[in-house]
Amino acid sequence: MTTLTQQKEVAPKKSIIEKLNVFTALALGVISAIVVWRISLALLPQDSESARLFSREDKITLLSMCAWFVGFMTGIGALVGPFRWLMGKDLSHSENMFLAGENMGPKRYFRYTTDHKVVGIQYLFITILIFFLGGGLAMLIRTNLGTPEGGWLHAQAYNSVVGTHGILMIVGTIIMVTGPFGNFIMPIMIGARDMAFPRLNALSFWLIVAAAVPLIWGQFIGGITTGWSAYNPLAGQAPLGMDGYIMYICIFAISTMVAGANITTTVVKMRAKGMTWNRTPIFIYGVVASVALALPAFPVFFLSQVLSAFDRALDTSFYNTAGGGSGWLYENLFWIMGHPEVYVILIPAIAALMEMAPVFTRRPLFSFNVAVLGIAGISGLSVLVWAHHMYISGWAPLLNAPFMLTTELISIPTGMLFLVLVGTLWRGRIWMTMPLMSIMALLWNFMIGGVTGIYLSDVPADAFLHGSMYVTAHFHFTLMGAGLTGAIASLVYWFPKMTGRMFDKTLSWIAFWLVQIGFNVAFIGMFLVGLAGQPRRVESYAPTFNTANLVTTIGAYIVMIGMLVLLHGVVSSALNGVKAPKNPWQAKTLEWTVDYPIPLENFDVLPTVTTDAYGYGKAKS
Amino acid sequence: MNKRVLAVLGTVILGAGVIAGIGTYVAAAKNDSRVLEATPAGTMVTPQGTLPHATLAISVYPDSMAGSHGDNGGAHPGYVTYGPVTNFEVPAHSVITMTVTNYDGGESLNNDYFARVRGTIDGSATLNGQRMTQISPDAVGHTFTVHGLAVGQDEFFVSVPMKAVAEEDMPEEGYTSKPNVTVFTFITGGPGEYIWNCEYPCGDGTIAKFGAAMSTMGYMSGHFTVKG
Repeated sequence: MTTLTQQKEVAPKKSIIEKLNVFTALALGVISAIVVWRISLALLPQDSESARLFSREDKITLLSMCAWFVGFMTGIGALVGPFRWLMGKDLSHSENMFLAGENMGPKRYFRYTTDHKVVGIQYLFITILIFFLGGGLAMLIRTNLGTPEGGWLHAQAYNSVVGTHGILMIVGTIIMVTGPFGNFIMPIMIGARDMAFPRLNALSFWLIVAAAVPLIWGQFIGGITTGWSAYNPLAGQAPLGMDGYIMYICIFAISTMVAGANITTTVVKMRAKGMTWNRTPIFIYGVVASVALALPAFPVFFLSQVLSAFDRALDTSFYNTAGGGSGWLYENLFWIMGHPEVYVILIPAIAALMEMAPVFTRRPLFSFNVAVLGIAGISGLSVLVWAHHMYISGWAPLLNAPFMLTTELISIPTGMLFLVLVGTLWRGRIWMTMPLMSIMALLWNFMIGGVTGIYLSDVPADAFLHGSMYVTAHFHFTLMGAGLTGAIASLVYWFPKMTGRMFDKTLSWIAFWLVQIGFNVAFIGMFLVGLAGQPRRVESYAPTFNTANLVTTIGAYIVMIGMLVLLHGVVSSALNGVKAPKNPWQAKTLEWTVDYPIPLENFDVLPTVTTDAYGYGKAKS
Repeated sequence: MNKRVLAVLGTVILGAGVIAGIGTYVAAAKNDSRVLEATPAGTMVTPQGTLPHATLAISVYPDSMAGSHGDNGGAHPGYVTYGPVTNFEVPAHSVITMTVTNYDGGESLNNDYFARVRGTIDGSATLNGQRMTQISPDAVGHTFTVHGLAVGQDEFFVSVPMKAVAEEDMPEEGYTSKPNVTVFTFITGGPGEYIWNCEYPCGDGTIAKFGAAMSTMGYMSGHFTVKG
């Protein structure tokens, strides 16, 4: 007798990794924050009336933000791998393939996906979002400064807008090249299948998402009223919003350290066979120099904020002079990060343009060795210049001269990079594309940013100019005029490889000219009011500065329109752009040898490199 | 018009609209959005002739259980605060009489300048009914100080110290039954928007006492609008 049994098809049980995504992360983050907030509200004792600092609310806020962070990272799946490893059972091959986003479609962009190409696109998205928000805040600042009396924004809200704009843009510019292009392009460019530590790659991205929430949270509990530098003891007196800043920086610093270790290891250990250092593209040098600078700099930034949190929440006195601390300690820690950070931003952007220069001049990079020396020279000197931000603070007057010397010396390796770019353009077979024009824009903008920087590096001139709009104009010329110009050119240049479509040529040109003209109008106006004595970070100003401020505001609006045109170009080109051939620029680096869509592991057979990437023949005679 | 051009224009308008929306939200974020309008009180003879007269009555509390922060004290029940609100609106070219009832204690000012009455008619005020032009810098509870750059609007500066309630008169709970009442009168110019704040460092507990209530909107600072 036979028995018929109904056999149900049982779906295979989903592993925990498959259940986690950005929505579970958000849910767990919010729940954790609320639970810890309620518990700490109930259990933490009231501050004693005799306490020097009232810190209970800071404790509650920081604990809740920490809970958000842990909850979010758990919910996205960042802890699954380490936990399994601790249990002595690492992820299986199929789980690793799932993490890599194999055959997952668009869902992979919302998960803890380890594929470097997905991480690169995620970085591109968050960079655009950061620039949109930071740029939007810049428009609020400029609108408020359109008239001398200000008053559109409440003075405290204005301060917070300035501080938030600053820190958003700093983070945006730090990740704008190494994030999207360092992740998407760099491994293919060196002939690798992925990054050295794919899970760390995903971790570095999701840490930035986790960091964003405390910053936004901070806006609703008093804001960041100290400017982006968050100097102490000012930050110690500031509203609870500063706790959001502290958490944002701490989490972002971890992300940068993780990304730095990952990128450095990838380049050192995973370059294709035959890709000697002399054959390694200059963009790779730029990315590695950037993250190598960030590696020692960001732990210091992290530490500076941990001590700031201790002062606020635990009544310590690291920076509180009344308790034996020193504001100078904060200034030193901050700028030990802060000045290398300028080059963390600049070097990869300039290196990306140096990578494009041979492509659009159809000739080799002029003096590759000088380019490498220039990058190395800037990197080396950049860790020895931090105190030029503190000439007037009274910290160490005897050190002013040495720091002036190191700061002025840095113009020599910077000049080398100019030489390489100009030398490559010289007698090149110019292919007039938007990326090539960006090189011209960089030379112009960075020349102004660089020359004005020399005046600021000079102690007597800085005594007059420091704290003025001149400083604001100077660093916008370097970070935006040079850095952001390089990043936008990179976007247009590598867009075909990242999306399979060409960036709309017309829109790229319109955006370029609007941004460059608007930018120069805005910030040359700012130089003028700075020279005339207008201090920075003010909500209203004397009528004598009105005309130049109005010009700056008009320039800023032109930049906004240009950036929105660019944004439209990104979206419309990605959706409906002309399909790109495999190598639309006829470039010689490895990323142009792979088809779109790029296979999960990039290459069927890993390439062997026999020449450098700049074999375009000689210059025009 | 070309569809493509329209799409670009649409993005620019949409983007600018989002930014304008954020700006409108931030501009409205004054924490205490309510406004106390001065009450018309006929006319008054002043050195500048007979002018319309209006009055404002406000208080200073040692915590936030009164004022604009709700019965439970809002986000910071322990913060010292002005009340019932912190934004005021008065008529232009008028005489304004303000009555400030101070329920809070105090200590020394950082800057003695603010211990003197400034910007009122004849530079005086009354404290509990007695005329005064200044109080001891060591007995100041708070100040009501309106100032702002005279840019595109009339210059306007009024600063009046509020005497601190004596320590022995400060109860363990609730508010003192012996508050100090300061009355002062000043003349407004043309329309303009000014910021007022307290110049006594009363952000207790934070470094230099300029944090907490002193650095959070809606407690010891606000808007002072002169309306035409």
